[in-house]
Amino acid sequence: MATHHPHAPLSLVVTQDRRAASDGDVARGMVVGDEWAIAEAWRRFAPMVLRMAKRILGSQSEAEDVAQEVFYGVFRKAKLLREPDSLRSFVYACAIRALKTELRRRKLRAWLRFDKPEVLACLGSRTMDVESRDLLRKFHGLLERLTARDRLVFVLRRMETMTVEEIATSMEISESTVKRSMAHASSRLSHWIAADPGLAGLLDGERWGE
Amino acid sequence: MTMMSDEGKASRTLDALTDLYATSVEPATPAELDRGLDALLARAASGRPRRPRLVRWSLVGATVALSTLVALKVTSVVHTRLRSVETDALTYRIDGGSVLEGGYLRESGHAGINVFFNEGSKLALTPGTRGRLRAVDKEGALVNIEHGTASFQVKPNNSRRWLVDVGPFLVTVKGTVFTVSWDPLREQFELRLRQGHVVVSGPVSAGEIALRTGQHLIVNLATSATAITEDNPDEESDSVAAPMQQAVTPPSLQPPGVVDKPVGSSRAAVSVPSRTTKTVEHGPWSDELARGHWDRILEDVERIGVEAALGKASSKDLFALADAARYRRRPDLARAALLAERHRFPDSPRSLDALFLLGRTEESREGGAAPALGWYDEYLAHAGGGAFVGEALGRKMILTDKLHGPTQARPMAEEYLHRFPKGSYAGPARALIRTQQ
Repeated sequence: MATHHPHAPLSLVVTQDRRAASDGDVARGMVVGDEWAIAEAWRRFAPMVLRMAKRILGSQSEAEDVAQEVFYGVFRKAKLLREPDSLRSFVYACAIRALKTELRRRKLRAWLRFDKPEVLACLGSRTMDVESRDLLRKFHGLLERLTARDRLVFVLRRMETMTVEEIATSMEISESTVKRSMAHASSRLSHWIAADPGLAGLLDGERWGE
Repeated sequence: MTMMSDEGKASRTLDALTDLYATSVEPATPAELDRGLDALLARAASGRPRRPRLVRWSLVGATVALSTLVALKVTSVVHTRLRSVETDALTYRIDGGSVLEGGYLRESGHAGINVFFNEGSKLALTPGTRGRLRAVDKEGALVNIEHGTASFQVKPNNSRRWLVDVGPFLVTVKGTVFTVSWDPLREQFELRLRQGHVVVSGPVSAGEIALRTGQHLIVNLATSATAITEDNPDEESDSVAAPMQQAVTPPSLQPPGVVDKPVGSSRAAVSVPSRTTKTVEHGPWSDELARGHWDRILEDVERIGVEAALGKASSKDLFALADAARYRRRPDLARAALLAERHRFPDSPRSLDALFLLGRTEESREGGAAPALGWYDEYLAHAGGGAFVGEALGRKMILTDKLHGPTQARPMAEEYLHRFPKGSYAGPARALIRTQQ
């Protein structure tokens, strides 16, 4: 008989033999609801998902929320995975889909004026000075103006250093669409930077000593 | 030609901003990961599949919601037009000083500076405080406190955003009354929230900290200590609060390898100032940790004493204590718990993981990079395919680069990319190798 332990002690440490498990084993473990498999999937892929989400959303708390959605979704849909060994790609695709949804939700909220996009709060707080953080806020504001697709493509290509092929596969769009989106995002960002008095000053190369 | 040049500059600026943005995101900390895993497992344990009927009703609900949204949009357009009249640009007047170029506030006397905004908000700088109005417009205000103490009384207004940069911290204001201070010499940040809700982000363990009315946050970067206490409303006054006395004990570093030292003697009892000490005994710490009740664990330790706690707790509870202490930025206590784990349960699988976490704990201290390197080395020497190998190698690479330069760090970067080509430190590793080419 299956038992239910809503408050069972949670094991944060996965035993040694489980860590050596392949991605396929982890995926198969998730299909049958093994707790170790969920923990192991989190351990392997959560750093990547959290970092990508922070870069795309600019918010620590939202990134954590998205990561929860992604992994809960992966846990629930693991049985649909035809090739368990491709768990990593599956997680990537789920993360990108969740981020796209979140960006669109933000746009909708902004359109309805229920709220404003969250401010950039999690970037550079530890290591950067006030001026650098100002620059980040401004740049984040420009990223907010891009469409969800352009923004995702730009961040994945330029910050996550994914290849065009990887982006196309993860986002389920064609490579030519990725290239168009990338060119469009870069062009618009460059245009907005040139038009922003605060950022245009950077063109003189003061900050980076050019 | 000029056009081409401008385009080139814009492109280079975009490159630089993109790099700045990308590198500003730090990898998730073990505390973040642990917290997330706790939440995920709890959700997985209680989650149930969605029933088809629920899905059908969801579609009905979505249709209704869509209709409502369209109606709301129409309303919001009207509202926006009305509000555009209301939300004029913020203006202000200054008593007791003047504003200089760059927005710096200069005190004319010795009574501090008061800034009154036309919407009803107020900012009061205590004498000697150095503040700056970085931006004041119809969107809101960005205020910078470089050192000293400032009180804010911000009138709630959804169409405006108030941000306060205080040293390395950013306070996002939601319409509230609070006092904030930053002492750059002691590297101490304090925020006393009298009313409303703020979110503090910066170099704090939990990423962002949301505070509610009556809470008092103290972060000391020098000692890596964070404390949140509940203020007694009876003790509140309208005057600007004097900075609370720092009640954290400077950490005492212990080099890696001294794991056989009786850990019970460690002076890890960093006292968190608390005016609402509880006397009830709580459940097993591993359970409390899973529920996010970190403070309860720390309260238990304070009540029964550090030595007794470290000497009697189970292996699992020691790890829970270490996690709670790390989340609450009490590295001495975290370190003591991890050393106790090593000392009392040397054959436990957690004992190995404790080596890595000791490294992370040391890193959170000022000057802890070198001892952290030692712990990572020891972990990597024994871990084989351990859970934190990638993280340990990545951290080792970062610290080696920081302490000894990129030449010595390069082999680690190459090893990292070979073993974890898509790992969370792959970006920094590639960047490090690029600088060497």
